[in-house]
Amino acid sequence: MEVTPEAIAAAVHRFSSVRGHGTLPNLMAFARALKQLGVKVSLSQVIDASRSVEFVDVARKSDFRALLRSNLISQKEDFPIFDCFWREQVYERVPMESLEIEGTPTESRAQEGGDEEGLEEAIAETMANNDVPLEDLEEFSIPTYSPQELLNHKDFSEMGVEESRAIARAILLIATKIATQISRRKKRARKGNAVDPRWTMRNNMKYGGEIIDLVNRKRRIKKTKVVLLCDVSGSMDCYSRFLIQFMYGLQNELWGVETFVFSTSLSRITHLIRTKDITNALEKISASILGWSGGTNIGRSLHAFNRNFAPSMVTHRTIVVIISDGWDRGDVSLLEREMQDLKRRCKKIIWLNPLLASENYEPLCKGMQAALPYLDLFLSVHNVDSLIALGRTLQKMVA
Amino acid sequence: MNLKELTIERVQEVLRDERYICDRSLATIVYLSLLMGKPVLLEGEAGVGKTEVAKVLAKVLGAKLIRLQCYEGLDANTALYEWNYPKQMLRIKLEEVEHGDKEAVETEIFSQEYLIKRPLLEAIQSDGANPPVLLIDEIDRADMEFEAFLLEVLSDFQITIPEIGTVAAKHRPYVFLTSNRTREIHDALKRRCLYHWIEYPSFEKEYEIITTKFPEVEATMARQICAFMQRVREMNFYKRPGVAETLDWASALIALNRKGLDDKTVVETMGCVFKYREDLHHLREQIEGRQLNLEALLRVSPELVS
Repeated sequence: MEVTPEAIAAAVHRFSSVRGHGTLPNLMAFARALKQLGVKVSLSQVIDASRSVEFVDVARKSDFRALLRSNLISQKEDFPIFDCFWREQVYERVPMESLEIEGTPTESRAQEGGDEEGLEEAIAETMANNDVPLEDLEEFSIPTYSPQELLNHKDFSEMGVEESRAIARAILLIATKIATQISRRKKRARKGNAVDPRWTMRNNMKYGGEIIDLVNRKRRIKKTKVVLLCDVSGSMDCYSRFLIQFMYGLQNELWGVETFVFSTSLSRITHLIRTKDITNALEKISASILGWSGGTNIGRSLHAFNRNFAPSMVTHRTIVVIISDGWDRGDVSLLEREMQDLKRRCKKIIWLNPLLASENYEPLCKGMQAALPYLDLFLSVHNVDSLIALGRTLQKMVA
Repeated sequence: MNLKELTIERVQEVLRDERYICDRSLATIVYLSLLMGKPVLLEGEAGVGKTEVAKVLAKVLGAKLIRLQCYEGLDANTALYEWNYPKQMLRIKLEEVEHGDKEAVETEIFSQEYLIKRPLLEAIQSDGANPPVLLIDEIDRADMEFEAFLLEVLSDFQITIPEIGTVAAKHRPYVFLTSNRTREIHDALKRRCLYHWIEYPSFEKEYEIITTKFPEVEATMARQICAFMQRVREMNFYKRPGVAETLDWASALIALNRKGLDDKTVVETMGCVFKYREDLHHLREQIEGRQLNLEALLRVSPELVS
């Protein structure tokens, strides 16, 4: 995660303003500041940190730093943020007395006075240099971008019957391949390759413990979940009819599919296409989604997904399929950060790009460039053939 | 080691006595974990001594080391306990022949004697004078289901066996988890642990490690080895060598009675450092093509010493 000096300055500022007296309030302020910079810290970690303070001489800064870091940070990637924050002289400049459980408030305040002034000065300087108002820094902010959202209502009624049947067949193939993945864990089965002693015993109790039936076990089928994130912005216009078809097909074939569409913002449409009637579904979607055929902000949409949906929907078993041409008008660094975050959560990320089929297309646009390192598969989808090819690739990947 | 008089320095010292050199931050974490009874999660590249910490600590504490090596498909039965089915069945058969008391047999075959203890139960039931050290190695290789199960065990250190009852730990084991980061560990598990990332050692630290492990080594050669290792880790190899490789190499050179390193020796013994054909090939090519100056690689220059 990338953290700007402004964000650090803001966190430092907030920290120094909310810092109370006593270990726990201080540590909580510290943790809150870290949280603000995007580090995951839980209350139990803070409590443990405050418990461990009594075992270590906090005057020795390196020990104190090791104590805080091991308690509050739980992945290497967050070390730089911690170090940055630490270096920002939160604990270096502000005297340690305020951290002791029985510090005299007035004394430490007097001592801190000068230091905090210096700190504020530094922050003021940063602000002046970067010309940012304080309010904007209050929260770890997402760079915003707002082009005109074209609130068109699309007509999907001209779906060719032949075409949609062919697509449905191809989708069925893909869906079943994804759905039946072999697990290394075992389950009981009539036919299998190993005897399950526990269940054999239990099952044969009815014969008075005489082993008559053998219960076998075999590898369990792992249910892979799929999350579809589909770009429906203006640049994807000519594909969107097909895309909806694809999402509809996949969701109705597979258990555990979640479907989202995004342009400048993200909408969940799983409930809208949970129906047997495709025409009806298309109508419902075009009626309810605003911003269809508008601009694209993949980074922001992914951020919304990662924050609101990913924690409950995406696990190590989830394959995330993103369908987009990668033309992004938002912040590229945000996109990259969110891709990284998503990559960490899920099993595979597949990016389907309809433009990939054209011969002189190269993924040069910045958005696509930023996303490429995090993809497990980068494939084309523009017709039924490419879908069948996708089916084969998935088959190999899963096997 | 007396826990009451424990200090960070003391931890560092006793580990050093057992020839494990660790920096102060790791010592602080080990110290905290001993006092707080909080598990330690160690991450780092392969061969930096993650597993070794637990092994050495067990030795220092005079505690039993219980190791659970994780792998994909590891489940509660293999990690916790299992009934000894063949033995139970034989017992039943025997009683049938001898027309023994049915109920007595039933209670008997579900007693401790017929229980196969796996590492986690062993750690909990351990009744030595000291709490055992439980090493859960390469947790990233086990799957999420196992992680969730582990979370439960680590939070209250008790296990319920339906036929026997609840077994609670007499003393909380000292738990060390290691991970090579082939996947992310779940936040819930991480939250319960003290986290530390073990870096590749600095030049001085690596030198100290070699000379502590092999006091008989020539000082110049030890320095050459360290210089080589430090530089090679900066280069583009598929698998960067860890401390384990350094020690392998040093012991090989000692066995060969070498006092210093030259081109020929390096090329001959490179198998100790690089374990991939491509890496070996790459190195040999570079040396032969003179793109790589071995002499420069082995030189101890000021920039290595921080």
